[in-house]
Amino acid sequence: MSDFLSAYSIQNWLESCPQGYLLDTEYGHGIGEKESEAIASNSTLREESIRTTVQLVVGERCALAASSGLVNAAPDYPSKRFLATQTLDEARHVEIFTQRLYDLGVKKSELQSTIDQYANPHLVKFAEVLLEKVDKKDFVAGVVGQNIVLEGLAFSVFEMLHATSAAANPKFAHTLAGTIADERRHVGFGENRIGSLIKEFPEKKPEIERMQKDMTYHMLATFSAAFSGAGAAMNEGRRLAAQAEEAGIPSSEPARWHGANLQTASPEEMEAVLADTVLGEFKTRLSRIGLEYQTPSAP
Amino acid sequence: MTDPLLEEEVGSEEPRQRFVLDETGFDEVPKKYRRFYRKWGGPTDTLAPNEVLCPVCKVVIRSTRELRVGDRVYCMPCMSRLVVAKSASGLLEAIVNYG
Repeated sequence: MSDFLSAYSIQNWLESCPQGYLLDTEYGHGIGEKESEAIASNSTLREESIRTTVQLVVGERCALAASSGLVNAAPDYPSKRFLATQTLDEARHVEIFTQRLYDLGVKKSELQSTIDQYANPHLVKFAEVLLEKVDKKDFVAGVVGQNIVLEGLAFSVFEMLHATSAAANPKFAHTLAGTIADERRHVGFGENRIGSLIKEFPEKKPEIERMQKDMTYHMLATFSAAFSGAGAAMNEGRRLAAQAEEAGIPSSEPARWHGANLQTASPEEMEAVLADTVLGEFKTRLSRIGLEYQTPSAP
Repeated sequence: MTDPLLEEEVGSEEPRQRFVLDETGFDEVPKKYRRFYRKWGGPTDTLAPNEVLCPVCKVVIRSTRELRVGDRVYCMPCMSRLVVAKSASGLLEAIVNYG
């Protein structure tokens, strides 16, 4: 077994995470921080924020189920110990994004019905493909699906959302910053653990590559649905920004992410830059660990 | 030992340039290690001779000494062990060593 986990410890996790970047935060953001006034007072922006946050809750619930399930499937104690900390990370993500739904005005009694209403069916399918492997206690496929495909997706989505929110909604940007820091450990575990395990079990490659292809199909379909319905909210946000500028409120520097100007890009351009970034990362990461990226059919 | 440069490539005869590292606001590792890492600014971010980008988690790893091809470095934010290599463009890059 690779000894990369020998350098890892619960103590290190405590010092880095709860005693480090999460110190003096509540639900992942600064104490007392509120959602931006534009989102709180505008029904179009508020609904789009709820829709986006529901996808994050759905993704994180899947990650929680997967990482906790993989604890019992892991063949060694260092991996079990790492996955135990990841389980707590994922439970925290579920909690902070659920709290954001409450902050956006969703009543506790309507939480599940709101999630059912806005959850993208393809994202639900994406989760099902992964959890099927976890239920079978397939550690290698489960870690590739969870720590490389799902976490790789989350890493890029969170970074893009962070770039979009940094100036306009610091509370949400701060919430995302802590999750991005967590994702670094998770993708690190995925690559390093599987990078050595895949050499031991080369016969698993075709099945894992099939899983990656299925998950990628549902991920691209999720992006397509998300951005095709986002035009109205994007226009509304830009209209309010222009209105504020006319009123003499200085505008922030244009948010850029992977070359795209997020304040002027069309929904199609945003979808393209996100999909290209995530797929590029998948290809590079999978190739590094000895797997070949499988292109799915177009959704 | 706190510096991410775990092992220098043997045979490096010329003395290595030394660097004083300041905190950059990176807070994702325990305090005593924070100055050894910084956030990456994207493809336009120019790396110094003592810096290399972790390909796994996209954090810039910083050493107090100039980095050279063959050096072994450690990325604490994602726990990856890396070897410094030269990319096709002639710049330093890190290759993951899965062990």
